[in-house]
Amino acid sequence: MQAAVIIVLWLLLALFVVYPLIELILTAFTGDEGYTLAPLVSALGNGHHLRAFRNSLLLAFLVGLLGTATGFLFAYTAERAELGRAGRRAFGLVTLLPLISPPFTTSIAFVFSFGPQGLISHDIFGMQNANVYGLRSTLVAESLTYFPLAYLALRPLIASIGGNLEEMAFSLGSSRWHVFRTVTLPLTVPGLANAFLLLFAASLADFATPLILAGNDLPVLPTEAYLQITGMFDLKAGAILSLMLLVPAALVYFAQRRLVAGRSYVTVTGKGGGQALHQALAPTARLLLIAACASICIFILYLYALLVYASFVVAFGANDTFTLASYRAVFTDGMTAIEDTLIIALIGMPLGGLYAVVVGYLVCRTKFRSRQAMEIVSMINYALPGTIVGIGYLIAFNKEPFAITGTALIIIACYIFRYSPSGIRTTVALLQQIDRSIEEASFSLGAGSFATFRRVMLPLILPAFFAGLGVVFIRSMTAISATIFLISINWTLVTVRILENMTELSLGIAAAFSVFVIVVVLVVTGILNFFLRRMTSPELRRSLSGYSA
Amino acid sequence: MTQSSVGIRLENVSAVFRHPDRGLVPAVREIDLEVRPGELLTLLGPSGCGKTTTLRMIAGFQEPSEGTIHIGDKDVTRVPANRRDIGFVFQNYALFPHLSVFENVAYGLRVRRMKPVEIAPAVDQVLAMVGLDGFGGRLPSELSGGQQQRVALARAIVIRPRVLLFDEPLSNLDAKLRLQMRDEIRKLQKMLGTTAVYVTHDQDEAMAISDRIAVMEDGRISQIGTAEDLYRRPASAFIAQFIGRANLLAGTVVERSDGMVTLETAGQRSAFRSAVLAVPGETLCAVLRPESISIGNTGDGMVAKVASSTYLGDKIEYSVIVGEDALKIVRFDPPEAERFEAGEEVRIRFPREGVQLLPAKR
Ligand SMILES: Nc1ncnc2c1ncn2[C@@H]1O[C@H](COP(=O)(O)OP(=O)(O)OP(=O)(O)O)[C@@H](O)[C@H]1O
Ligand SMILES: [Mg+2]
Repeated sequence: MQAAVIIVLWLLLALFVVYPLIELILTAFTGDEGYTLAPLVSALGNGHHLRAFRNSLLLAFLVGLLGTATGFLFAYTAERAELGRAGRRAFGLVTLLPLISPPFTTSIAFVFSFGPQGLISHDIFGMQNANVYGLRSTLVAESLTYFPLAYLALRPLIASIGGNLEEMAFSLGSSRWHVFRTVTLPLTVPGLANAFLLLFAASLADFATPLILAGNDLPVLPTEAYLQITGMFDLKAGAILSLMLLVPAALVYFAQRRLVAGRSYVTVTGKGGGQALHQALAPTARLLLIAACASICIFILYLYALLVYASFVVAFGANDTFTLASYRAVFTDGMTAIEDTLIIALIGMPLGGLYAVVVGYLVCRTKFRSRQAMEIVSMINYALPGTIVGIGYLIAFNKEPFAITGTALIIIACYIFRYSPSGIRTTVALLQQIDRSIEEASFSLGAGSFATFRRVMLPLILPAFFAGLGVVFIRSMTAISATIFLISINWTLVTVRILENMTELSLGIAAAFSVFVIVVVLVVTGILNFFLRRMTSPELRRSLSGYSA
Repeated sequence: MTQSSVGIRLENVSAVFRHPDRGLVPAVREIDLEVRPGELLTLLGPSGCGKTTTLRMIAGFQEPSEGTIHIGDKDVTRVPANRRDIGFVFQNYALFPHLSVFENVAYGLRVRRMKPVEIAPAVDQVLAMVGLDGFGGRLPSELSGGQQQRVALARAIVIRPRVLLFDEPLSNLDAKLRLQMRDEIRKLQKMLGTTAVYVTHDQDEAMAISDRIAVMEDGRISQIGTAEDLYRRPASAFIAQFIGRANLLAGTVVERSDGMVTLETAGQRSAFRSAVLAVPGETLCAVLRPESISIGNTGDGMVAKVASSTYLGDKIEYSVIVGEDALKIVRFDPPEAERFEAGEEVRIRFPREGVQLLPAKR
């Protein structure tokens, strides 16, 4: 039984993870006469490609810095500034929205705010033909989109070094600032590095924001690869560009693995090291922090408000008459895309959730020879930038023996193998909390391994299953970087429709689509959470609370 | 109980772990062990000596790298845990957190496909046996540690296993509860007549609960016997010091006659009745229990110097120096006038009978 499951999983991983990657690499390195390094050499000599490479790294580096700083600001303020109820709500909302929004949300709102007809640039400052495109707005938009990742990674860390340690230093007579500088900050350094790498990777892989905001002067690798393939039909150039992306992405991935493995002196228990120090902050410092966070919160909420507003007017900035035309367009012209997206998401969800739970269980709780290999291979598509995965699928599944381009299957497979790994991680994290003796108890009482899995382990990892479902659903509704290469006449996606509307300058419809996606995601994740709460005991929910993200 | 008790036999059993840095680590080395039908045998030993590993091999959670294990007449060496018909009580209780107390106890019956109508009375009966009537509806997280351990016990005995295995079941409880629970475990085990193996590193617990004790040291069983055997006739210095408290007084054999062996320590002699085969000139160790040594100002006996005295109400503990050795002496309920101070010279006397003489260490 177990052996059969493992074999099936390996076949799937070979087909949907290893094979496309190999095909991608082969394509990049195939010349007229067999395999050659010539394409790589010429790519390195290609000024345009090199510029895209440099821009990608520069942008990722800056987003890493700015996003980590913002995430730390929010995490530290949330843990130490004794926020009121409203403050905590605002924090929750502002750090959740960017994670569940479709890819172009911030970019569209930036155009509304700072573009030629922008609310701030045009209406307030009276600028004509303001230029919103370029490094600055791309940097800010990406940082606002991805800082919640840093926030979520840093907050438990700051909570866990709270209370006791700071209190001790404080009681030894250090000033608050001294405590922050000599205790809190050094202890957070590994976490900050980790957050930086997370954001670096996210920005490196981001396709949507630069596509809209970077403009012609700031080509980056994902957008260049996309334009080569869809504009020039040059699959090979696209493959090479995406492989240039692979190098820094792989480096970041391994750096992060090492960092997490060596996480030695701060143990994140999720429970927190006691209560945070009462009045950990001087009153002025507290006010400053809150003011800084509040302005960022307000700015983000303002962007979303613009989006909603724009979806209800005829033409933002030119004709502010109320209309439902955009939504009408969404539910007529856009209906096929909505249906396709929902079908794909609803099929992918249970499969992805199941896949995550099974792989997580096998990797964490059983012994088989290829266990570690499976753990690594199952993470590959998750760690790779979507552009690489998408182009790999495009090349691999466009021809026999696996010609599935144009089907829903290719998109579903892409989502499952790309987004279930987060469910695998949740499963593993949950399993690590469940002592092995629980299983042994079941064995000793006469249950076999299947009965044990069904009666004991499955109910206990149900939260991970639901978390996995949620992630696959959210991503199915919002992802674009890989699937932009996989859509067809038969199967298209909401996110792609948003892009099309953007390029046709139907910004109102793009905004309406985005609002629709956000609402659907909120509703569905709400339902999932409701089931989760119904189906698990209070104790389990407590132990899960650290993993719901 | 209708079912008759069975014995357990381990023959030449070894366990080896593969450690990432240290290579192969032997945890249990070629042990032979026989547990008699219906008895409670304790594996006692310091941390890391291989008790848990031995117990887990009996349970079937782990396969021995060598040797065979029989439960009753059946060779179970390669039989998985779920077909060995055992009950296991874990140190951390290992209750199923998502199931109520009732369902936890019913679990083994359900996987055995017992009829639901028969399950309820069976579960209620054992819950009553462990003093938990009325707790069936609660979740494990809503119970105290002691109550959780009772559920674990009930869950293990409800299936009427042929063998009960306990891995330090009381070590997470406070001292008072520990005493109470160990008596209850013992009473239940006797009543059910189930053969049991019990792991602990607490010698008081081992002595109180067991029919026999197997002392383990570094992956081997160094002695098996009743608590009294081990106390009176320890086979090694290690056991002498592990079971109860013991002074080891080294001395040179100067004379052996009429079943008496005379040892000389720091120029002073003492004689013990012993059948040990020793030749003059050899060095032996006398196992002297602190409470068996008498102490006084005068009379015969060895001359010693008091190094410290500690008054503890019902007893006084002395540490005295003989030659280069320090000996502990305990005087229970001493008369008020009798008190020796540090630095004082005293006479100490050892019992002539019942003192174990062991080959000297090293
Ligand atoms: N899974 C394992 N991998 C490697 N070595 C192990 C493993 N389990 C136990 N050992 C080693 O085997 C030896 C015996 O371990 P065991 O758990 O049986 O000891 P124990 O007598 O039960 O100790 P304690 O009283 O601390 O529970 C120890 O040296 C231990 O380090
Ligand atoms: Mg142990």
